[in-house]
Amino acid sequence: MKARVVVAAAALAVLVPGTAGAIPAFARKYNVACSTCHEAWPKLNDFGQLFRDNGYRMNRGKDNPTEQPGAYWPIAFRTTVGYQYAEQEGVPVDQPPGTTTTKTGTFGFAGLDILTAGALGEQISWLLVYTPALGSAGFGTAPADGDLESAFIGFHRIFGTPFLNVRVGKAAPDLPVDEHRILTLTTGYNIYHFHPQGSAVTFEPGENQAGVEIYGHSELDALRYSVTMATENDAIFSKNWISSPVVWGRISGLVHLNNSILPEVKGGIFGSAGWHPVQALTTTDPTTNTVTPVPGTAYSNQGYQKYGADLHLLFFSNVNPLDITGVVMFGNEDQALITNGVRSAQWIGGFVEVNWVPTFNWAIIGRWEHIATTQAGTDSTPQDEGDLTALTVAVRYTIEFSNRAAVTLHLEGSQTTTTVSGMTPKGTAVLAGFDFAF
Amino acid sequence: MAKLRPVLLATSGLAAVLLLGAADQGERAPVPIDQGLVARGKPFYERFCISCHGPDGDGHGYAAQWLDPMPRDFTSGIFKCRSTPSGTLPTDGDLMRTVRVGIYHTYMPPWEVLGDYDLRGVIEYIKTFSPKWKEEAPGEPIAIPPAPPDDEASRKRGSVVWANMQCAKCHGPKGKGDGLSVPTLMDDWGHHITPFDFTSSDTRKCGNTDTDLYRTFMTGVNGTPMPSFADSLKPAEAWDLVHYLHTLRRPD
Repeated sequence: MKARVVVAAAALAVLVPGTAGAIPAFARKYNVACSTCHEAWPKLNDFGQLFRDNGYRMNRGKDNPTEQPGAYWPIAFRTTVGYQYAEQEGVPVDQPPGTTTTKTGTFGFAGLDILTAGALGEQISWLLVYTPALGSAGFGTAPADGDLESAFIGFHRIFGTPFLNVRVGKAAPDLPVDEHRILTLTTGYNIYHFHPQGSAVTFEPGENQAGVEIYGHSELDALRYSVTMATENDAIFSKNWISSPVVWGRISGLVHLNNSILPEVKGGIFGSAGWHPVQALTTTDPTTNTVTPVPGTAYSNQGYQKYGADLHLLFFSNVNPLDITGVVMFGNEDQALITNGVRSAQWIGGFVEVNWVPTFNWAIIGRWEHIATTQAGTDSTPQDEGDLTALTVAVRYTIEFSNRAAVTLHLEGSQTTTTVSGMTPKGTAVLAGFDFAF
Repeated sequence: MAKLRPVLLATSGLAAVLLLGAADQGERAPVPIDQGLVARGKPFYERFCISCHGPDGDGHGYAAQWLDPMPRDFTSGIFKCRSTPSGTLPTDGDLMRTVRVGIYHTYMPPWEVLGDYDLRGVIEYIKTFSPKWKEEAPGEPIAIPPAPPDDEASRKRGSVVWANMQCAKCHGPKGKGDGLSVPTLMDDWGHHITPFDFTSSDTRKCGNTDTDLYRTFMTGVNGTPMPSFADSLKPAEAWDLVHYLHTLRRPD
């Protein structure tokens, strides 16, 4: 278990999370600068959020494919190239038996996103994000499997109202802060991926979910709601109409206060309920005697929940704001979902993030995150096993910011401390690179 | 002081009479540009507007080369969508409306979601590009009388107005924007422009309501060949023309 936690922490520190984010194909389509939709790319501003909610439409008669020159092709690419240094304490070794600190400094790139998105007609949109199999990606640490990170068709303004839209396919659930548009590159939002010790649950809201999202919003996004019904990623399929089901929902709103100190406040509440099967029929490979569960036979679903609230304060301007975000999340998992569980496992986590965007070129980011187990599900591990504290600071300077592409110099440092058997080994990552999208 | 009071009163009275006289002649004092709002609007302009309208507000941002129609040149002080008479500056309300709602059939998006606080600043900032705002006051918004019933008789009268005003010369006999004059139509900046096609859409640059259409007839579209008919049409005739245009719309 100790080795698993440390290796997981190390991977967390050096793997750039899936970052679809900015789509310069839209900038090319509408001849607008990236700064139109992004507070600091890839983070959306209110205009960009409304554009997304409207099914990638500005609704001024220029959205449909037939309005574009035939040569226009809605494809975009994104990657980050540069240097990353990673250091991890507490990694188990045999010579001599104990732990050591690993140190790696690598030149490379973070991976590649190939994106295509747009409006198909008056009320239909689509998004596809493909991350190809590149074994050398992620500064040499990425898995070699390609993935269709996102793939959905959206139906918008059903019955003529913005309060009823549907996305079918694989898409990000409505999170307090969208991890796919995160401004940091060495760490993600850990609370979106946290599991208590011994947990069998694989649902992570930070991952895109295959399912159906029903969402709606007022004309100017002052009020939004979103409900995603999905099948839990990587869980064995239970024999239900929706196998290994999970529901994620969020209600959010924004208020313009129209003053020079605090012009805008946003906030929301969110939660999820999921059911993970803990038993299944199995089959045995006669040659290897390997016993594997049979998908579609799993049963005895047990429940888990996550819920919380978020608040976003935009100081001084909602054009170039000092944006302070606070998110708190609680989690609860049934004891049957915990290996050797004797009670339900519970945890609390959250983060405070400060983004300052003094001009559209500059973004200064700081984030502190902490997750603590409040009730361990098992007596075999200490309550604080796996608890986590992360601090991340980053500076982004966008060198090129046009309606064709964006190139940003990115400097970042992060440190993540994870509790392992009463010890708190640190994982440190430093990244200096160029983040670019075309 | 007591002796001076009658003199001051007389002087004040004379000044008031002169000012009222000036107002009667439509000469209003320019409204000083609010530098506080300018400071608030500048970062908004630099983030959202500069790529099309350019750093100098002349409509020559780097993206302008791909845009048709071209972005507005703020240095000229000429604005298409106004509630004010032809040739005059628009009101702040006119500019706010354009920035909030955007302009249909162009790449000017609606910015309303960003909130009036910053939008108010950006319209003040764009005034700094033209000396006109220091020399002239915005025009007085035209009066728009209530719309009469949109009935068959009104539409029939409107067809006569359409013929008499020679709208078909530009907009074409069926309102498709294909009149005989089209090849010669240029805006004040020398760009060829196409008259509106009334058959294809109810979404128009300066607003989609009947009132917007009435206002456009009576104020004209500055910087384009579309004149103001305020001096040649009576209000009832303008409303008849609005109603007639409904008949040109091709069914969906």
